[in-house]
Amino acid sequence: MPEWMRGARSNANGSLIDQSHESPEESSTPHQTDSSQRSLPSPHPDRSLRSAKLAALRARLSLSSKIPLQVLARALVDPSADAHPRFNNANLAFVGASLLQYHTSEWLVTRYPRLPMGILFAAMKGYAGEPALDRIARAWGVEAAAAPGEEVDPGYLQFSPDKPTVMMHKWGYARAEAKELTKYKWRRGMSSRVVFDDPFGKTIPEQTEELEVSDARNIREMIVPDTEKNAHANLVRAVIGAIYLHCGSETAKTFIKSYVLSRELDLSNLFNFKLPQRELTRLCARENFEPPVARLLSETGRLSRTPVFVVGIYSGHDMLGEAAGASLDAAKISACINALKAWYLYSPGDVGLPSDTLAEDATPWRPVYVDIGEIIS
Amino acid sequence: METRQALRPLSSLAHATSSVTRTPVFRSVASRRHQSTTSRTKKMLKIPPHPDFLIPRSGQNHIIYNPPPSAPSVFHTPFKFLPKSDPRRQANLIQLLRSSSGSHTSRGSTALPPPSRTVETRQKKYNVTREQVEEMRQLRASNPVTWSVIKLAEKFDCSPLFVMICCKASPEHKDNERQRLEAIKARWGTIRTKARDERKKRKVLLFRGAL
Repeated sequence: MPEWMRGARSNANGSLIDQSHESPEESSTPHQTDSSQRSLPSPHPDRSLRSAKLAALRARLSLSSKIPLQVLARALVDPSADAHPRFNNANLAFVGASLLQYHTSEWLVTRYPRLPMGILFAAMKGYAGEPALDRIARAWGVEAAAAPGEEVDPGYLQFSPDKPTVMMHKWGYARAEAKELTKYKWRRGMSSRVVFDDPFGKTIPEQTEELEVSDARNIREMIVPDTEKNAHANLVRAVIGAIYLHCGSETAKTFIKSYVLSRELDLSNLFNFKLPQRELTRLCARENFEPPVARLLSETGRLSRTPVFVVGIYSGHDMLGEAAGASLDAAKISACINALKAWYLYSPGDVGLPSDTLAEDATPWRPVYVDIGEIIS
Repeated sequence: METRQALRPLSSLAHATSSVTRTPVFRSVASRRHQSTTSRTKKMLKIPPHPDFLIPRSGQNHIIYNPPPSAPSVFHTPFKFLPKSDPRRQANLIQLLRSSSGSHTSRGSTALPPPSRTVETRQKKYNVTREQVEEMRQLRASNPVTWSVIKLAEKFDCSPLFVMICCKASPEHKDNERQRLEAIKARWGTIRTKARDERKKRKVLLFRGAL
């Protein structure tokens, strides 16, 4: 019997009586005598060795045999199904989420060193956020159990949608003024989100002692809005955590790279500009370029109902961006937007990552180019 | 028949030039319609292939590069936007020499397309003094109706935006202006209201880069 299971048994005798995950052979006599004993909230860890679904999942993900099937089964149990921390995936998911966010952020910053903070947060959410992880878990072919319980096959994802679960894996720096932010609609600038808040730039609601808060908005923020998505995302995080614990950081990094960072996210669609012309002028002034001038590259049908103008933005003799539009103004604005996107989406290509230097025979880290900051904020 | 013969060399010429100079190709729609039979119309519309697709005189195989006209990708960073440390900067020697030489040759300056508007190339004047700004504020405060933003901009030879930065109208004047605008909007019919609404939606799309 593994170490963690024995620990669970001794703990089960103490405070949590209803959580007694004892192996069937040993507890056969009390089962027969004590008919009033309640069934377990999640399947017994021993049953995972005989589950075809779990073995198939492990093979499908090409996981190493170093990861026990019991751990993989544990990654499939959401805290809403089994509240006992030794039998649900909360701890594994916590480890996995921190690894995932670290690798995603370092990859984004080194690959796109000029992304503004707001876009970086959105990209983080696009790669490592709950919706993306939910899609990944569904692509793995994991099915949800109709209801969690002892009799369910351990290969099913177990969560109960009717039980209110608290957001488990949000952390970062909670603000002291978190209550006032929502209550009085205080301003929350972009630069403060670098330090405070969670990795996706969202505030962390202040943790209260009990769930029965009078303010309805507070409850809504603390309870998971979509239990199914949250459970699927936690599964991915927990699998990453399990790989890190049993196979090491290099394997976890490879896993993250091949399952999360290999997905395609169109970063150029995340932008929403307010004053593109002014932003481009400020950029050119900051970088000592000549001020941008809109020049007409070609046009057709100026006096017709559907004219087309192709406008290029020039700084000196270099064209920065070009776009077509139905009016001179619209073409100029979209050309400015294209020029700004070309600036922000600059990529130095495949430079190394800081985590590469964690390997044993790694060359020392050479600093990479990272932009000095926002143009207008 | 004569139109067809006149059209033939024009269309072949348009092919050869369009990819280089980007001039829009006008083809007379009127002449296309008045072909009396189907076969003549079809014959007239038969266009020779682009010269790139023909086998060259030497008869050798060659690579055809004829991309469709499309907007350039934003992931292609212009040379000017490459940081100093980027290896692509050193690799592109021609651009590097061009940018380092500063003042350009006569060929380079003539190659620039015209500005889309005349205001694009105007220099900033910074001609309004501190005293003039004070005077501007006094005039605006004394009678905001006669001394409108446009009038003040004309008087002090600056842009309306600068006047609006300097002066702040009184709340009563703002309220009057808003009421006047509301009255104008109330007179709009359904067509104009809808058109204005759609213009707003288009603007949102434009700034998102989705138009």
